[in-house]
Amino acid sequence: MQNYDSIGVVGANSWGTTLAHLLGKHGHRVLLWAKEPEIVEDIHQNHRNAKFTYDFPLSEKIVPTQDLEQVARRCEVVIVSLSSQLFRPIVYQLGNFLHADQILISACQGLESGTHCLMHQIIQEETCIKKIGVLSGPNLFQEILKGSPSAGVIASRYHEVIHKNIHIFSSPDFKLYGSEDVPGVELSGIIKNVIAIAAGIADGLGFGSNTKALVVTRGISEMARIGVKFGAKPITFTGLAGIGDLIVTCSSKLSPNYRVGYYLAQSQSLSQILRELGTIAEGVSTVKVLHEFIVKMKLSLPILGGVYTVLYENRPIPEVVAELMNRMSQFEFDPTMYTELREA
Amino acid sequence: MKAEHKEAVISEVIRRITVEKIQNADKIPLETIIADTIYHERKRLENGKTTKKAMPAILYWKKMNKRLIHASEAEKQAMLQELSQNFVREIIGNFNPKVYQFATKALPILLNILLNAMSPRIFSSHFPHWPELSDRLLVQGEIQLLQQLAQLGTVILVPTHSSHMDSIVVGWALHRLGLPAFTYGAAISLFKNRLIGYFMGNLGAYRVDRQKTAVLYKEILKEYTTGMLEYGYHTLFFPGGTRSRSGAIETHLKLGLLGSGLRAYINNLIANNPKPNIFVVPCTISYQLVLEAEHLIQDELKSTGKSQYISEDDEFSQIRRILNFLAGILRLDSRLYVHFCPAMDLFGNLVNEQGMSFDHRGRPVDITRYLLVSQKIAPNIQRDMQYTRELGEEIQKSYLKNNVVMSTHLAAFVVHELLKKHNPEMDLYRLLRTGGKEETLAIHEVYEASERVLSKLKKLESSGQIRIDPHIRDASVDQIFDEALRHFRAYHTKEILVRQGDRLDPNDCNLLYYYHNRLLNYELEKEIEG
Repeated sequence: MQNYDSIGVVGANSWGTTLAHLLGKHGHRVLLWAKEPEIVEDIHQNHRNAKFTYDFPLSEKIVPTQDLEQVARRCEVVIVSLSSQLFRPIVYQLGNFLHADQILISACQGLESGTHCLMHQIIQEETCIKKIGVLSGPNLFQEILKGSPSAGVIASRYHEVIHKNIHIFSSPDFKLYGSEDVPGVELSGIIKNVIAIAAGIADGLGFGSNTKALVVTRGISEMARIGVKFGAKPITFTGLAGIGDLIVTCSSKLSPNYRVGYYLAQSQSLSQILRELGTIAEGVSTVKVLHEFIVKMKLSLPILGGVYTVLYENRPIPEVVAELMNRMSQFEFDPTMYTELREA
Repeated sequence: MKAEHKEAVISEVIRRITVEKIQNADKIPLETIIADTIYHERKRLENGKTTKKAMPAILYWKKMNKRLIHASEAEKQAMLQELSQNFVREIIGNFNPKVYQFATKALPILLNILLNAMSPRIFSSHFPHWPELSDRLLVQGEIQLLQQLAQLGTVILVPTHSSHMDSIVVGWALHRLGLPAFTYGAAISLFKNRLIGYFMGNLGAYRVDRQKTAVLYKEILKEYTTGMLEYGYHTLFFPGGTRSRSGAIETHLKLGLLGSGLRAYINNLIANNPKPNIFVVPCTISYQLVLEAEHLIQDELKSTGKSQYISEDDEFSQIRRILNFLAGILRLDSRLYVHFCPAMDLFGNLVNEQGMSFDHRGRPVDITRYLLVSQKIAPNIQRDMQYTRELGEEIQKSYLKNNVVMSTHLAAFVVHELLKKHNPEMDLYRLLRTGGKEETLAIHEVYEASERVLSKLKKLESSGQIRIDPHIRDASVDQIFDEALRHFRAYHTKEILVRQGDRLDPNDCNLLYYYHNRLLNYELEKEIEG
């Protein structure tokens, strides 16, 4: 049988590097896979990832590598933090070396274009792994690297996955809570990026806190309505991965998605914003995929729809805002949601 | 089950149950388990028809109750053993190996006689040639794979369930493939017909009494099936639980008995059983007409899920109805498909003819590693429950992909959906009761919608999402409806759909709805809109 001696992180972007650092700080040997040789070299030589986590000194327990096979052979738990576009091909490659006893965690917050697949579904399709988990929550990497107390959620159908991850991440400044609602936790992390764009627009237009509260709370409602279609439990959206993450991404200028919305409202073009951002804003591609899904399922989700028309149909923001405010008000809570909540 | 295995399985089941209960007595005292069993059994007996037959049983449970009040711990252990013994013996039934040997040989002959000689009048007037059962009952799918896997390990066959005919039909299909009779859990009500019960019991059916709700009974039932699988008996479960009352392909599978497979596999690996592998083979059974359709859909609509049990006095308990049904099948040139789907392991991975498992991308998987706990193979209740749940999801997907669309399904689907379209203001129950505002539908509208649905079905079939009966795949819609209408007037009490010139009259909306439901979950409804 295998002797696993490390924890694997696949993807040395800002979130992947932060997770590797957290684990290294807690004494675990971490194999951090990066596609780019210069990142491997930077971490190896300087213990930093200048491209994604700037000058922050990283744990010396992190061993950077470009060898996926090594990660699969030596790590019982492998955390994948990649963009949604890269997720399937890299997970497929990883699947060439993984065995049935291993645990694979998605820390990616995106939805696959065309298939509308969630990342945990891609893992099911591309590997033999059953013990799959999803990691999400209000986690701005800059604050975590600074050591500010933070928490996230690990969701899995398998309690073993939950307990193992709570254990390996447990530390004085970071903790994980468990959930069995895999699609709920994953979708929270995905949809909040789009709501963050809406919140950025509201702030960019100079609207105040009332508007922000409106966007956030109605955003939660839209998250729950779309989540139910994926089999999620509405109550999950009221937790750390839902409202918790939304509070952070909708109010912090550190959030790339928020910044996209903010600068759009300042009349900058999307292409210019994305060029200057220096990191990926998953919400931009997510809203396109979500829109396809919304149309297919005939859902009425005005905030998500509004962001889509601004980004991809070039509709003027004031026009979209006016349309949202002119919509006829309904009851705040859909009666079906009460039923769902009671059942949850 | 071989005679030498019978006693071994009984004593092993009792041993496992009692050891487990005694070991966990600090969490659940033996007294609680025994009291729960007494309570549920008394409740069942006292709520039923108190016939003279039930009186000794009622008295027995009263006596047990008194005994429990003053029982020492040793006495409680003896009581637990006694209860386990009673339950497991009742489940096993009166199996006689000699009758089993006779019955396995006699069954196909009996079935042929039953099918061919049930009505000399029908036979002589309609069949110039002796009709062959194999022309009607078409066995297809991964036959060679099933035959191979039955040699390599133990097979759990999990068919869709629409009719009590299913077990007979599958039994016949397995016999034709040269496989031994599979054991299966049959509702105790089926044993009430002495002749059917006698043969079923001796063909490997064990008794499942769904009215017995005591936890101990259910655990013994699961342990018994686990034991049988460990001894290598191929087994048949209907994971839908009961017959589909709505007519739809099962979407909510009951996983309790399916979980026995994984338990047996783990026990096999720990015990170094030389043939530890257990394979799961989903199977769809598609009828043009369903024997008990009238009764099932009535039950579905009457209580929409409230009724726990389907009345035992349905079509299957009436020999004349069975004979009429079978006569109908022969007279109408009717077909019935048993489709063996690709085999899986207990984790839902596909399996090849060497019994090796593969992931979705065709890479081999060492499935024993799913079961490691600290590098050793061991059970884990929560983990194993999830594995079984995921297996259930794969079985369900396989059912949908291997469902065979027949003329009656297509015709009923289109007509019911058009009725819905024409009567948007009506809820389902009103629509079924009244048949809608108009009495009939224009045949050209029905045919146009049918063309669209058939074309979508062909697209789905080409991407492996469903199967179409080859007899209708290239037939014209007119021919398909002609065949469906002949079936709809042949067997059921009322003619389901009647042609009146250039219009169609939905005469029995409940049954239309029942046959329509077979095509749910394929998003075909959009095609009706045009």
